Amino acid sequence: MPMKLLLLFTWIAAVALPWMAEANSGLPYDYPLPEPGTYALPVIQDAADGEVIATDGRRLPLRSLTRDRVTVLSFIYTRCTSARACPRATGVLARLHEWSAGDRDLASGVRLVSLSFDPQVDTPDRMAGYAALARSHPKAAPWHFLTTASREQLAPILRDYGQAVDRKEDPRDPEGTLHHALRVFLVDREGRVRNIYNSSNLDARLVMADIRSLLLEERAPNP
Amino acid sequence: MNRSSSIPPVESAPATSAQSLIRRLNVLASPILVAAGLAASSATAFADETCSSPYLARIEGQEEFLYVWTLGVEGLGDGSDKLVVVDVKPGSPKYGKVLHHRSVGGRHEAHHGGFTDDRRQLWLCGLDGSRIFIFDVHTDPGQPRLARTIDDFETATGGAVGPHGVYALPGRVLIPCLSNARDRGGRTALVEYSNAGRYIATHWMPLPGQSGLDGSDHADGYGYDARVLPRKNVMLSSSFTGWRNYTQDFARVAGDPEALKQFGNSMVVWDFHTRQPRQVLRVPGAPLEIRWAWGDRHPYAFTATALTSKLWLCHEDGAGRWQASEVATIGGEGGVLPVDISLSADDRTLFVSCFGDGKCRVFDVSDPHHPRLIHDQNIGRQVNMVSQSWDGQRVYFSSSLLARWDKTGEDNEQFVRAYSWDGSRLQPQFGLDLTAEGLGRPHHMLFGATRMGR
Repeated sequence: MPMKLLLLFTWIAAVALPWMAEANSGLPYDYPLPEPGTYALPVIQDAADGEVIATDGRRLPLRSLTRDRVTVLSFIYTRCTSARACPRATGVLARLHEWSAGDRDLASGVRLVSLSFDPQVDTPDRMAGYAALARSHPKAAPWHFLTTASREQLAPILRDYGQAVDRKEDPRDPEGTLHHALRVFLVDREGRVRNIYNSSNLDARLVMADIRSLLLEERAPNP
Repeated sequence: MNRSSSIPPVESAPATSAQSLIRRLNVLASPILVAAGLAASSATAFADETCSSPYLARIEGQEEFLYVWTLGVEGLGDGSDKLVVVDVKPGSPKYGKVLHHRSVGGRHEAHHGGFTDDRRQLWLCGLDGSRIFIFDVHTDPGQPRLARTIDDFETATGGAVGPHGVYALPGRVLIPCLSNARDRGGRTALVEYSNAGRYIATHWMPLPGQSGLDGSDHADGYGYDARVLPRKNVMLSSSFTGWRNYTQDFARVAGDPEALKQFGNSMVVWDFHTRQPRQVLRVPGAPLEIRWAWGDRHPYAFTATALTSKLWLCHEDGAGRWQASEVATIGGEGGVLPVDISLSADDRTLFVSCFGDGKCRVFDVSDPHHPRLIHDQNIGRQVNMVSQSWDGQRVYFSSSLLARWDKTGEDNEQFVRAYSWDGSRLQPQFGLDLTAEGLGRPHHMLFGATRMGR
């Protein structure tokens, strides 16, 4: 097996296995979903900007992917093996992506963004491999897999989103695993963060209710 | 301890095609799954206090620092409220000693606080003046730095005053309040701020007769604690009293029949995601701290009523409605003023600290409807907060209730005391006399460490 393919399988397995294990744990969220549009999602902050790199190597401002559609933005790193963290977030985005494939409003009104906070390892090529997840539904909402040119370019984006990432101190593995808080951001069409999810409330059905609530809003809401 | 019970479950649903794709890739990658699985399963042991927000990043292993939010005392030291950091790392040469303290300037009725969900900030509230002091506990956890203050809480929130607790939510904090700017009585609100310190929303507590609200006759508009059970999308809030009472001498309040009417007698069940009240439960006698059980199949929470010395259980019945039941009496005749409770991570043991007689009472609550007193022990002449470690082996106590409600004379002991718990008895480990240290009256205690989990 070519080394590159082996590496690809390694990290996909590392990502997928814990997520699947948790998804199959049989422990459901147990509550009725709120009716979209019947509750408020007040503005928490403005969605931050910064230069990011797409899988084809194109550089673009992050703000160009957090306006005009309802955006679900997840910070990840592909080496993450914590079932509660990045694999979980990617699993939820995959579910939203699949649901959007059969719904014209979602396909045209929503985008998904997975942005790496590990630019040294998560190159555009590596993110392109990861984007295989998004290719199974060509009619679904667009799903962008992004990285940045360097930690220096990334730092202000993380700071402005309040995304905590620390390098774990391990002298045997200086480039080792990252200590981070799971955060997924829901951004409205005006580029404002309207909800934040972490491992305790990242329920795909709930995120979808929030997405539909934002889609029901007028173009220039004043929540 | 059932650590896994704190992990919120995910919804179970038929596999999507994305999952199918991942499954296919997994099959192809099967020779290397073992290594990946081992990496994923090498979980670190987590610790922490048991009564923190489920949205909060957890400490890995033993707590190292005890952060103590301390009321200033006129004529003692600099007289100001301060954050006191105590070394609680076993084996440390400074174990049980004050490592650091940072005054915030002035006396603000220092009371409760809490971390942001990433545990990088510690927000500490003043009940009088409604100021919030935000410390950076990430850069140097042993020497937190006062990063900024919120000085316009009353105007920003539309009139909520007396910020009480700080409860971590994803990217934001929930701040239950005690009073309001209009009449300084008990009607109050829950307030949200972003982790960056930006005001988000105010949710006023429901009032009697609110249409469409189950049990609205029991509503009184009062507030105290608010805590969430994510699995059920339920938030519970409790009720205490307003600024006019908590800033008065306790004897004066206790002797004034009109003042005694101004205490909460309710708990509110909220739809957490929508922040809408669903049901009001009658729980007379000022229900204070709320402790949700951690177990996956334990849809219940305990509280204790300060004025009536009772333990109450809020639980979901078979029909999906919530019920409040009085399940035990705390202490004997006359009441012992239970002021804080701490539920063990396995949901079996409840520590109750009683300001009135300075005792900690320990209940076996493995049958939550029938708590059984298994131990009581004197901690001091007055005792207030109790914080228990996740492994159940360490229990910390502080002494101060409110500046004008603390006991006087020789009974006005002001301490932090640490104990070990072996399942039957509390064994003293260290004690700190904060009057002798010139530091003030210790109230809320929170755990800190240099290592955090995800």
